[in-house]
Amino acid sequence: MTPHNPFILADGKKPTCMEMLQVIIDGEANDEQQEYFKNHMDRCLPCFKSYDLDMAIKRLLKSKCCGGEAPVDLMEQIKTQINQITPS
Amino acid sequence: MEEIVTRQNYSDKEKNEIFDSEFMPHINSMYNFGFRLTLDRDDAKDLVQDTYLKAYRFIESFQRGTNAKAWLFRILKNSFINDYRKKTKEPSKVDYQEVETYYNSEDVNRQITPDLRVESLKDMIGDEISNALNSLDVDFRTVIILCDLEGFKYEEMAKILDIPIGTVRSRLHRARNLLKEKLSEYAKSMGYKNTEL
Ligand SMILES: [Zn+2]
Repeated sequence: MTPHNPFILADGKKPTCMEMLQVIIDGEANDEQQEYFKNHMDRCLPCFKSYDLDMAIKRLLKSKCCGGEAPVDLMEQIKTQINQITPS
Repeated sequence: MEEIVTRQNYSDKEKNEIFDSEFMPHINSMYNFGFRLTLDRDDAKDLVQDTYLKAYRFIESFQRGTNAKAWLFRILKNSFINDYRKKTKEPSKVDYQEVETYYNSEDVNRQITPDLRVESLKDMIGDEISNALNSLDVDFRTVIILCDLEGFKYEEMAKILDIPIGTVRSRLHRARNLLKEKLSEYAKSMGYKNTEL
């Protein structure tokens, strides 16, 4: 007996492994979906492997691609321009 | 997908309060978004400046306490498409029809990059991941920025990009596969062999 798949969409289409994995990776899964996927991953090697890889890439992106700070004078320039357009 | 916008009535003092306390704290994320879109620091600066001026001008369509970051990102994205992209005439190369077909096809479970492993990522301590991201077509780059760098939810992304959630999902899926292909090229050039299996 197959347990109910909580990932099934409104149109009744059965989701693929990759579709389920994406929902999990992006933190969009509800409790029921997380539980279901945990069990699924124990039995599905592609999901098991992809999970670690996808999480690692996500972490790497976060740590390597968003450290940049805006130039120090940018905020001041914006404020100056706004003061010019608003009657104070 | 246009929402009904209730216009607020803010005093000048309130406007400045909102601007300083709700808009300004996002300036670093906004600048990073602008830079990742234009791949140019000066253009990013112009884009962010332009976005904040527009945000101030249209502040009455912003409802206090709602998601200011998503609101600002949407303005920046629109400015990029309407002003910047038009100016530089960079055409969109993404064939969305193809994307949808791809996503719905049977071979979606096919492992595209069997040689990319977690271990090989550990050696990407330089600009590899950043370069890989920047090499993607701007529409694919955008969904990764919004989701993985900025942590927006699918629903927020759909609003920022004015596309259905299904398209957010499929574009994200395709974008990640393209990114993995790039990363696996780097991994190969760094001397990793597919020794597994
Ligand atoms: Zn699976």
